[in-house]
Amino acid sequence: MTIRIENEGNQVVAHLAGRLDTPAATAVTPNFAALAEQADKHIVLDCSELEYISSSGLRLFLTLRKESTAKGGKLQVRAINADIRQVFMMTGFISLFEII
Amino acid sequence: MIVAAIVLEGTACVQYFSSRAALQQEAERRAMSELRRAELEVNVVAAEVEMSVKSMALMAGKNLHAPQRLYDILQIMVLHTPNMTGAGFTFDPYYYKPQKWFEPYCCEVVSGDKSDIRCGQIGGEDHDYFQAEWYRHGRENDSCLWSEPYYDNAGAKAMLVSCTYPVKDDKGNTVAVAGADVSLIRLKYIADYLQVYPESYYSIESADGTVIVPLPDMNFKRGYQRYEEYIERTGWKLAVVIPDRVVYAELRKTGLIVSVMMFIGLAVLVLLVYGTGRNLIKLVNLRNQQERIESELSIARKIQMALLPTRFPPFPDYPELHAYGEVLPAKEVGGDLFDFYLLNNKLYFCIGDVSGKGVPASLVMAVTRSLFRSFTSYLDNPAQIVAQMNNTLAGEGNEQNMFVTLFLGVLDMSTGSLRYCNAGHDKPICLPSGNAPCTPLDCKANLPLGVIAGFVYAEQETKLAPGDTLFLYTDGLTEAENSAHEQFGMERIDAQLAARGEASPRELIEQMQAAVKAFAGEAEQSDDLTLFALRVNGERVVDKSNTHYSLVMRNDIQQIPTLAEWIEMIGLPPELNMPINLALEEAVSNVMLYAYPGTSGQVLVECDLKNEKGGRTFIFTISDKGIPFDPTQQEEPDVTQSAEDRPIGGLGIFLVKQIMDEVSYERKDEKNILTLVKSLTR
Repeated sequence: MTIRIENEGNQVVAHLAGRLDTPAATAVTPNFAALAEQADKHIVLDCSELEYISSSGLRLFLTLRKESTAKGGKLQVRAINADIRQVFMMTGFISLFEII
Repeated sequence: MIVAAIVLEGTACVQYFSSRAALQQEAERRAMSELRRAELEVNVVAAEVEMSVKSMALMAGKNLHAPQRLYDILQIMVLHTPNMTGAGFTFDPYYYKPQKWFEPYCCEVVSGDKSDIRCGQIGGEDHDYFQAEWYRHGRENDSCLWSEPYYDNAGAKAMLVSCTYPVKDDKGNTVAVAGADVSLIRLKYIADYLQVYPESYYSIESADGTVIVPLPDMNFKRGYQRYEEYIERTGWKLAVVIPDRVVYAELRKTGLIVSVMMFIGLAVLVLLVYGTGRNLIKLVNLRNQQERIESELSIARKIQMALLPTRFPPFPDYPELHAYGEVLPAKEVGGDLFDFYLLNNKLYFCIGDVSGKGVPASLVMAVTRSLFRSFTSYLDNPAQIVAQMNNTLAGEGNEQNMFVTLFLGVLDMSTGSLRYCNAGHDKPICLPSGNAPCTPLDCKANLPLGVIAGFVYAEQETKLAPGDTLFLYTDGLTEAENSAHEQFGMERIDAQLAARGEASPRELIEQMQAAVKAFAGEAEQSDDLTLFALRVNGERVVDKSNTHYSLVMRNDIQQIPTLAEWIEMIGLPPELNMPINLALEEAVSNVMLYAYPGTSGQVLVECDLKNEKGGRTFIFTISDKGIPFDPTQQEEPDVTQSAEDRPIGGLGIFLVKQIMDEVSYERKDEKNILTLVKSLTR
């Protein structure tokens, strides 16, 4: 599991790749904390290379979503695959996030 | 040590000074003693001369009428008085008229060996003795008077000292002075007494200070000791002068000897201290060395143990394969080995025993293991593998002639066929599934490795049925001794194995170990003990009719990827892969995080696949031996809630319930058992 955070224009883009399972979620928690610092901005979670997400990963997404709302920023989730979409649907996350 | 040295040196100093004082006293004593002796001698001589002079005077007084006889008297006196060199009478003026002076005189004359007495009348104008003090004093004293030393030109022509006594006539009037001369040369022998030390000096002085025997012309101010004696009779002063260095010559010599001995003693002490110190350092070094060796040995043991396979549970790819092995070394490091690994669907395994114990055996063990790994990487023929290992071990460098007994097997995972080669090792035992009796594996007798290079090894083949266990061991098991020196023996092994029941390889080995420990009791383990067992539980058949998979993990979320690999291996239908992954990860993470607070524990995941006519059912069981915990009791989240209101937790079990068809929990036999069922209809 890798995460790469870049600035693309006025957006902060986090590229997630691999399996966001429980141990991976623990490993990238600091990265998400760093993103939360910039939650006032426009953040995009690019999941084009994300294969799998567990509930621990979902928790990270949710925390960031709350921060973004509280700081008046914008959070979008980009390019999720079918499996992840299925998970989002099961958990109701599909309506919590702006999927692009 | 230093204190001892100081005390020693101190004692020596004290000794030195007291010796000095003693020598001082000795010198004084010696000097005084000799002085007194000399005094005595002088007195004796003086007394002798005085007696003679008195006799002379008396006889002269009786022979005043016959002056010629005076010469005879004188002659006899001089002759018979050894120390008297001359004698004479000095008569008052005109006693024998018409002569003014009359001094008959006789003296000794020595020429060569002969001595003669010459007599004559020596009074006259050129010898006007009336002026002489000795004459004037002599005739007025009624006792012997000794004169000051003087040089006698007229008579003896030598340094003389004279003794006088008045001559009286029959009326008692003094008419003349009798005098005797003593040549001072004669006193020389007396002076010899005064040579108290080889280099001491002496002197004799008269009352007036006239030097009779002089001291040598030296500076006697410093470094000399002077002892004196006064002779009353003659008024002389005898003196002995001794240089300090002569007095203390002995001391110097003794002192030197003592000092030298002190230094030798000190040097010996220092050497002893040094030697003892060295020994102590050597002892300390030895102790350090020993500790270092012990710590290195324990590190070596850890390294050695790390060489052995330690990762059980079974291979993630082959959950039907159960294998377990353990080595108990007799010393810190041992010579037993076992190893196994999977390659290309084959299980390569071996068990062996190096001759000997300790570090040398462990080194050969390490080499053997690496040979096993290296040759099995490209050979799968046991006879060839063993032959190559043997050629390497028996080749150059094996001067120690260490050999290794080895059993090597290659198990084909897809067919269950076991090819093997036994190089002199104990025959493994086959434990058929169920409780059928155990039989030793039939093994051809090959030589152990390392005996002769080029030996041709024979291989054999058998089939390992599912559920059959192969039990391997080293002679540390058969030869384990108790305090009565009885051996564990094959019978006990067989009995133990016969009572195995359904024990897994691990349980089998643990039970065997317990049996050996119980048997051995207090006795020390004499040899390495290695046990290794393997069993193939189910076959991996393609159509997977009733199949069981299992996976054992520690309560460490880092093992989640292992879970994913295991799920992958089971081979789920693609659309189920991700959901099952999710559900199992959630359930297993929960157990890992909460079942064993503060301790480590195992999490067992099992999958039973039931193939039925209508479809397939996957029954996943997650069990742990932790604290009672029912994840199904957790609150479900409200997924319609907005993000702000949504609590973070609770999602996991929700997903599980969403994904799986059935979720149930029970607490049974002190275990938490969570059962998840997913059915797939064809």
